[in-house]
Amino acid sequence: MVNDGAPDVEVVARVLGGDGEAFGILIRRYEPGLLRFATRMLGNPDAAADAVAESLVRAYRHLAQCRDPARLRSWLYRITGNRCRSHLARRHTNDIPLSEAPAPALADNTDAWATLERSEQMALVERALSALPAEKREAFVLKHVEGMSYEEMAAVTGARIPTLKMRVHRAREALLVALEEVVR
Amino acid sequence: MSPIDPRLQEALDGERDPGTLPADLREAYDRLTGAAQLLAGAPRLSVSARVMAQIRKAPHPQPGESSTQRALRWLGRPRAVTVRLRPMWTLALAAGLTAVLLLPFQNGSTPQPGNAEGVAQFVGHFPGARSVEVVGSFNDWSRGMLHLNDDDGDGIWHGAAVLPAGQHEYMFVVDGERWVPDPLAGRYVDDGFGAGQQNSLLIVRPATAEP
Amino acid sequence: MRRATALALAMALAVPLPLGAQTTGSTRLVGRVPPAAQPAIDSIIAIAVAESLPTEPLIQKTLEGSAKNVPPDRLVSGVRRGLLQLRAAHLIVAEALPGQPVPDAHVVAVAAALARGVPEPIVTRLVTLAPTEAPGPALHAVADLIAHHFNPDSAVDLLVEAHNKGLRGMRLLDVAVAADHYLQRGGGRTPAEALAHVRAMLPNVPPAEAVTRHGTNGS
Repeated sequence: MVNDGAPDVEVVARVLGGDGEAFGILIRRYEPGLLRFATRMLGNPDAAADAVAESLVRAYRHLAQCRDPARLRSWLYRITGNRCRSHLARRHTNDIPLSEAPAPALADNTDAWATLERSEQMALVERALSALPAEKREAFVLKHVEGMSYEEMAAVTGARIPTLKMRVHRAREALLVALEEVVR
Repeated sequence: MSPIDPRLQEALDGERDPGTLPADLREAYDRLTGAAQLLAGAPRLSVSARVMAQIRKAPHPQPGESSTQRALRWLGRPRAVTVRLRPMWTLALAAGLTAVLLLPFQNGSTPQPGNAEGVAQFVGHFPGARSVEVVGSFNDWSRGMLHLNDDDGDGIWHGAAVLPAGQHEYMFVVDGERWVPDPLAGRYVDDGFGAGQQNSLLIVRPATAEP
Repeated sequence: MRRATALALAMALAVPLPLGAQTTGSTRLVGRVPPAAQPAIDSIIAIAVAESLPTEPLIQKTLEGSAKNVPPDRLVSGVRRGLLQLRAAHLIVAEALPGQPVPDAHVVAVAAALARGVPEPIVTRLVTLAPTEAPGPALHAVADLIAHHFNPDSAVDLLVEAHNKGLRGMRLLDVAVAADHYLQRGGGRTPAEALAHVRAMLPNVPPAEAVTRHGTNGS
């Protein structure tokens, strides 16, 4: 019986050895991050749940093809990212449907960001993020929400590190402009 | 969009102490990192149960096998087959199915179905019914378009229609109010509305032979 | 003779039905959807459009639920379930046809198979078997066999073999009919024996019409 704290390599070996239930450990370990990532990419929790569920089932089916189980996290994010891109491609555009809550009117801009309620801040940030092209949105989320290094981001996305740095920089610029416009 | 100060980028990349940033850049730094923190909230959903349910039905992944090898192994694997004797009602249903199943159009009778159409026959035993009609996906689930007949009053209602080849779902509506599946349909599918009701399913074969 | 008379009568009564008006979904839904369900239904169909999924099954499900006077919440739930099945179906077809357009008819057929309870791996295998062929008949064939308690893996094995021996389209449905028909003859035959019997006769399974005629005469 493999325990919940066992390293990924050990858990993967158990699963490949026939203990399918051990895959539940990996799900519990990575599901929150994958759901968060997919939700930020797709803008819709239900679609994100579908994408993550499909990705995890796919990961299980192809677990033997994971060449480096020590980097399982990157592999799972890569599969999920591909699944999200597939969902986005089906929508024709990268637009993300969001609730049409009106932007709050702000009379005082001295510390406008701080005066916003958390839910209002959340709505604004989500809207700003959704306006980014998918590649920049993905780069920003992996870097700043999932806290990945550029090396790990390269393993997840298949893009080169300079390219990823450029995407993150551009995403920051666009987000900053969007957030400043709202609170100004 | 104007590029932001490289010092801010460096701080956000962890290459510079944000405490060294001037006030305006520090404010932008706080805004972006604050936004990231908001986005990092834990999701409330979980797909664990649904994923585990699916993978329990899937074959175990095998180390060192290609997908082709797995397919070959799967093909060659002996499988448990449920041995089950049929109760009499299924035999009756099978016989009934042949009576109601959609027959390819056979001769010059009118109306002539087109290349992508076939003739569907419907038969049902509803003694005492005042009316029986067929409502389904082929008529947009509209009433009053396909009535069955019981001219000799023996309770056997029947009718036929030319339908597009392919799958159709339908139900009988008896006396204008009672929705019942076709007991002879042989194929059923849950109607998806949560009450466990089943639609009858028919597959219309094209009248002309397939290439 | 009696059968010939019945058939002639049926033909005489047969009337070409106007297919559901070949108009847009929104037009066909006007006045037929409970007002309480309308916004949610509109939203689900809009999502399907945005995701390039076929909308006809959703329109049909809406019309069906409305005709049956299903309460609005269950109506919406049923249509949403249809959307989820179409999504799953789209993914299966897209994987089977990498880099190619996903035909709506394939998606509809796969979604119908999922609705009939065919396990996803079985669906995937049949769709992948011949991605450019209409998958409907093969999927219905395996769904029929599963519904009649044949082992799903064995059933799909038989259909793959039938396909490999040249059977296509509705002829694959004949394979399922032949297996079920053999089983129905009784005498303690098992599903495994029925499958083996049909496998041995491949590709020369009797056309469904012959099976149908036999069954009618024999009952």
